Amino acid sequence: MTELAQNLIDGLGRGSIYALLALGVAVVFGVMHLLNFAHGELITVGGYVALWTLGAGWSWYIVTPLIVLSAVLTSLAIERVAFSRVRGSSDFTLLLTSFGVHFVISAIFLLYVSASVKPFDRPSWVTNTYSVGPLNIEVYDTVVILVTVLTLIGTTLLLQRTMFGLSLRAAAADFDTARLMGVRSDTVIRGAFALSGLLAGIAGVFWLMRAGSISPGAGITPMLKGVLAALIGGLGSLRGAVIGGLALGLAEVLLRSRLPDSIASLTEGVVFLLIALLFIFRPQGLVTVKHAVRV
Amino acid sequence: MFPRPGRDIGFPIAGCALLFAVFLAGGLIYESFQGRAAERLVTVMLIDAIIVLGIQIYVGNTGVLSFGHIGFGAIAGYAFAVFAISPEEKLKRIPDAPFGLNDVLLNPALAVAVAIGVTVVVALVVGIGLARSGAESGAVAATVITLALLFVTHEVARNWPDLTGGNRAGLTFKVGAALDSRLPIYLCLLGALILARLFAQSRSGKLAVAAREDNLAARAMGVNPLVQQTAALLISVVVVSVGSSLRVYENGSILPDDFFFNYTLLTLAMLIVGGRNSVTGALVGVAVMTVGRELARRLGQDGFEVFGLSLDAGPLDWIFRENLQTVFLGLAMLGFMIFRSDGLLGDWELDAWLWRRWRRRIPEDQPEPLAEVAPVGLHAEVDREGAALEVHDLAVDFGGFRALDGAGLTVAPDEVVGLIGPNGAGKTTLVNVITGIVEPSAGWFKLGERELTGAPSHDIARAGLLRTFQNLRLFGASTVRQNVELAARVAVQHRPGSHPPVDALIAEAGLWDVRDRRARELDYGSARRLELARAAAMAPAYLLLDEPTSGMSDAESAEMIGRIRHMAAAVDAGVLVIDHDLNFITGISDRIYVLDQGQVISAGTPDEVQADPAVRAAYLGAESDAAR
Repeated sequence: MTELAQNLIDGLGRGSIYALLALGVAVVFGVMHLLNFAHGELITVGGYVALWTLGAGWSWYIVTPLIVLSAVLTSLAIERVAFSRVRGSSDFTLLLTSFGVHFVISAIFLLYVSASVKPFDRPSWVTNTYSVGPLNIEVYDTVVILVTVLTLIGTTLLLQRTMFGLSLRAAAADFDTARLMGVRSDTVIRGAFALSGLLAGIAGVFWLMRAGSISPGAGITPMLKGVLAALIGGLGSLRGAVIGGLALGLAEVLLRSRLPDSIASLTEGVVFLLIALLFIFRPQGLVTVKHAVRV
Repeated sequence: MFPRPGRDIGFPIAGCALLFAVFLAGGLIYESFQGRAAERLVTVMLIDAIIVLGIQIYVGNTGVLSFGHIGFGAIAGYAFAVFAISPEEKLKRIPDAPFGLNDVLLNPALAVAVAIGVTVVVALVVGIGLARSGAESGAVAATVITLALLFVTHEVARNWPDLTGGNRAGLTFKVGAALDSRLPIYLCLLGALILARLFAQSRSGKLAVAAREDNLAARAMGVNPLVQQTAALLISVVVVSVGSSLRVYENGSILPDDFFFNYTLLTLAMLIVGGRNSVTGALVGVAVMTVGRELARRLGQDGFEVFGLSLDAGPLDWIFRENLQTVFLGLAMLGFMIFRSDGLLGDWELDAWLWRRWRRRIPEDQPEPLAEVAPVGLHAEVDREGAALEVHDLAVDFGGFRALDGAGLTVAPDEVVGLIGPNGAGKTTLVNVITGIVEPSAGWFKLGERELTGAPSHDIARAGLLRTFQNLRLFGASTVRQNVELAARVAVQHRPGSHPPVDALIAEAGLWDVRDRRARELDYGSARRLELARAAAMAPAYLLLDEPTSGMSDAESAEMIGRIRHMAAAVDAGVLVIDHDLNFITGISDRIYVLDQGQVISAGTPDEVQADPAVRAAYLGAESDAAR
């Protein structure tokens, strides 16, 4: 029982980060039908910002907003340079474009920075824990969960209460109709990329705090988790993305602690098997999105 | 009728042999200039070509982007290594191998067979998930699953050292035991080429391409995309397995990173640069990217000489560094996606081009008129007496909106029935329901004795209900003739006893002169007539025509009446035609149903319906109010 509660807290912490990543993926998918395989590169860029600024002796309190800012700016820059040119293309083109962006960015770091893994200092409190009854709770997990909840509330308010949010949701439901109703596609798409960058930036801060290092290929794992979580939740659904992220985090933690030792290191494989089963029995993901197809 | 030995088999094989010869000659010539240093490069290129062709079979024909094929390659590569490496070597790296694999030793050919077997089993499981999620949430979901597969194979390879030797050691062949002859590579490459090309020409390949072009239209004409996509996946995985085994054998070792992101990027870049929809393109892409990458690599070193031309990167060496080839690959992929997403060749195939040149010399006669080769329907095998189309009490709700509210009708086998109603009356919804695209919330429909409510689109089409679409859904990249031929192929398979006369149908639709034109280049009227001919080529029991004259002039509409009646009679089909144009419907129909707000408000002969006051009120609205 205690172990289960412990796992749930750990899983929520991990899942929160996945949820933020997945939400960023889903926001962009909503307006452009683009599944952004370059999403993890926002964290890579943030990681090098952290490496250089921390290396210069700056504190995490200054570095944190810089990481978020760099993710937002990178997201906007990628949209401008690459994605704005393939708007409305086929799924195939969109997917490979984002894949290409992913490779160009990581290759640039590979070429002009270093191929090796570079460590930087983690904040001192990351590994601290405190006890609540029999439970050992990490300060880190607590902060992650709190910040995620705040971010999700903020995002919800943004989407529900502002004109931009309304435009974005309208565009996600039916892009063409939204445009006919006077929603400016440029504004919505750029806004979506900025929001996506913001969410990735926040997730990235936590990701980097935990990792304590950066390398050119560091964006692959967070990208994959975010994209998978968005898919598990049901592509196109923002609520689904959050649910998918939490589900993925919980599944990973629970499996890792429950699987026999001999195959615990293969948790990723087992998780994938579960995802494959999910898609065989529930191909549309956890949350169903109705797509209107005109015939 | 299919396959045609020359066009579908002979020419492609000859074309592949020619391609193979040119490709190989290029490599050998380069080798003879550059000496032994280039030997490895050419060998690697040949093996890459096999793997890229394998990926092309799936990605090209289904249009689904797969990152997972290199994951399949990893599975095959490890399976091959585990079975082909001698027990003594394995004892050094993986002494605790599970399942007693330590003592197993197969000769390389058998080990390849095992690798294929293992990988195909995995692909079958993944393929079901792929096909099902792809059907529900589009190709994007399928792509993510393939990406996850790649990632997970890599994770498992890293974290299962008992079997794979882990991340650092890997598995290695004994020194000198690796592949030392190119002959197997040559044979496998030629085989992969021919297999890829023949698959594209096969029925399965054609149907997969149709679903790639327009999934909905393909299903509405009896194609089940899941079956074709799974077939493509399995065949492509076989080729990738062979290529990956060769890659491991030639390398003499395998590590998890050998089959991961970088190799995925390389093979995908090769595929899309040349043109993913064509086998020729895939091969061209391999050649172009091999050359480009080699240049980038050397440029990243410190200048070099090619054919006497010396290139010195000295002043620019702050840009041109080691690993330049990765940037080159990424930029090539990005550039082609943004500026030329179909690659260098698009869907150009060498053998198809040769065939067209060759056939141009033989003039084709105008086909016999349809009336003389018809009828082509099912009466030979199926007793059509009483095989009426019955639609009973259908209801459909879209959210709170009731699009159909207890609508029903019947059509007899030799009848032309019109369904008319104002915009939003539910006409198209009714056709969508009886072609399996929209699920009704109540009611049923059946064809003869067979209840079809809730059946998938492709089963309904195979049962004989064939539709056209209000907003035209042709296979745009295919020619007029290929569009009709495709329908005929499905008909031959699923409509027993039917032999649709493709050429006569094309001529009847007035398209004989443009039969080799791509469908997307047709003018509007021609495109409509092509859709009609394509539906008729399915030897349908009933044709369901959704606004077949929308956007046509009055004269064209009038001409269309004759064509529709003629063609339906020739293929022995009943017709349900939908329109809001009163003149057209009264002109073509034996009987008419009037639909308003989801309900049938009147039915009868054209004269009866026109005289019905309820119809005048609903359909002519204000006018009848004024008359009162």
